[in-house]
Amino acid sequence: MAEARLHYQDHLDNLERNCLGGLDLVVASLNRTMEAVEHQDMELAELVIADDDRIDGRYLEVHQAILTMLATQAPVATDLRLISALLHVMHSIERMGDQCVNISKVIPLTGHDAPVHDEMVDRIVLMGKQGRSMLSQAKKAFEARDVEMARDLVRQDDLIDNLNKECFQIAVQVGEDKDTREWAMTMMLVARALERIGDNAVDIGEQVAFVVTGLFREFEDASHPGQAPLPST
Amino acid sequence: MPETKDRTTERRSAGLAGGLASAAKQAVTRGGDNVERVAKRFAVKDVNLFYGDFHAVKDVTMTMEANQVTALIGSSGCGKTTMLRSLNRMHELTPGAHVDGQVVLDDEDIYARNVDPVEVRRLVGMVFQAPNPFPTMSVYENVAAGLTLNRRGISKSETDQVVERSLRGAHLWEEVKDRLDKKGSALSGGQQQRLCIARAIAVEPEVLLMDEPCSALDPVATLAIEDLIEDLKSRYTIVIVTHNMQQAARASDVTAFFNLEGAGEPGRLVEMDATDKMFTTPSKKETEDYVSGRFG
Repeated sequence: MAEARLHYQDHLDNLERNCLGGLDLVVASLNRTMEAVEHQDMELAELVIADDDRIDGRYLEVHQAILTMLATQAPVATDLRLISALLHVMHSIERMGDQCVNISKVIPLTGHDAPVHDEMVDRIVLMGKQGRSMLSQAKKAFEARDVEMARDLVRQDDLIDNLNKECFQIAVQVGEDKDTREWAMTMMLVARALERIGDNAVDIGEQVAFVVTGLFREFEDASHPGQAPLPST
Repeated sequence: MPETKDRTTERRSAGLAGGLASAAKQAVTRGGDNVERVAKRFAVKDVNLFYGDFHAVKDVTMTMEANQVTALIGSSGCGKTTMLRSLNRMHELTPGAHVDGQVVLDDEDIYARNVDPVEVRRLVGMVFQAPNPFPTMSVYENVAAGLTLNRRGISKSETDQVVERSLRGAHLWEEVKDRLDKKGSALSGGQQQRLCIARAIAVEPEVLLMDEPCSALDPVATLAIEDLIEDLKSRYTIVIVTHNMQQAARASDVTAFFNLEGAGEPGRLVEMDATDKMFTTPSKKETEDYVSGRFG
């Protein structure tokens, strides 16, 4: 049987590449964000905020391409699931870009001469590294349609969640000094944003499972932890 | 309404061997749809269709549920129209053509020896690709044609009622009520096709077969027919052959995909399932490739 719709397939491949390329933009933004956090580099933080327009632009571009594809090509079956998934993925990417902006916006609040507690900063740096690794794993899992690799993101996310809880404990016990407490509260906002990035990476993993199986199930249901079933394959 | 019930029972028991009885209304909910009248279901078992030595359709077993729209899709020559024509015994009108297997309407095999093919075609109406009203007849006569053939001696007032009811049922009454005496062939293409549907439902069939009923119509007329199909399933079982996959997706409850194993091979049923499943998560790659337009 002769292959048909070759141009359509090209468009679909480009759309996926463009959307998943958004993850590379987020990784770049997260790298700068973490460097800015570590070194209280406000200029770099401003660059992250300004550069988020690129991620927003990518979101609009992919969104428009998806609408055009739906309107003109009437995709069905796996193609339709892929397009639906890309819409979700692109939304997650845009949210992650915003989290980098959120972090960058609070860096000036820590001040030039912040009362830094290394044990907290170390954990936040680790959270950033873990976040980058999850983004890269989410992209690979999507490209390879690998449900197991996608599912493993939940395990990776547990590491970020645990670090976030540890940061919280450190913040609670940081002491009576007002400046230190302010600094610790600000760092909790950073930790919270990084924790959300981990969640967004898991969301992308769920979309991988949807594309492959046609069933959408949350890997982990926040309101019923430990009970969400695996999508059947 | 005991009287209504009795008439229904009479009609059911009359079955293929009986004559025409008035339709009775029954309000039933089936598969989430309101059903005005429970029509009959088709069960096809181990059916093989031949044109002389040529094996056109192989080993088809499928059920077309009552008051649902079943779409048959597949590339040209895969046997879907042949399959459709076997459901009201039109296939056998082709010289040399024959049917093996069972085609059961509710509980009666339409190919059983004592069954009259004319009665089968009364119970199982057909609408064709190109609108084909009787060219010399008026709109009124077109609709009444089947009635006068089936029920000699039917009164004028009763015929008037059936013609109006059928034209209303086919969403055509308002457009033609002032020109019932004009030639049917003077109507637009979409109106002619709805006239053919009115003619088919005038004799209160159980099943309506539609062979690409919109392929000769413009998009607006096409959507009008699709709306009509949605309404008609509350009274009839509908089987539609279409080349337009979006039409199958829009208009049917169940989709059956036919394909050839190879050039010169007979057509076969590849997959049949709820239409939304066929167009979002089909089970077979062959179906996926076809519905997403990757071959065919």
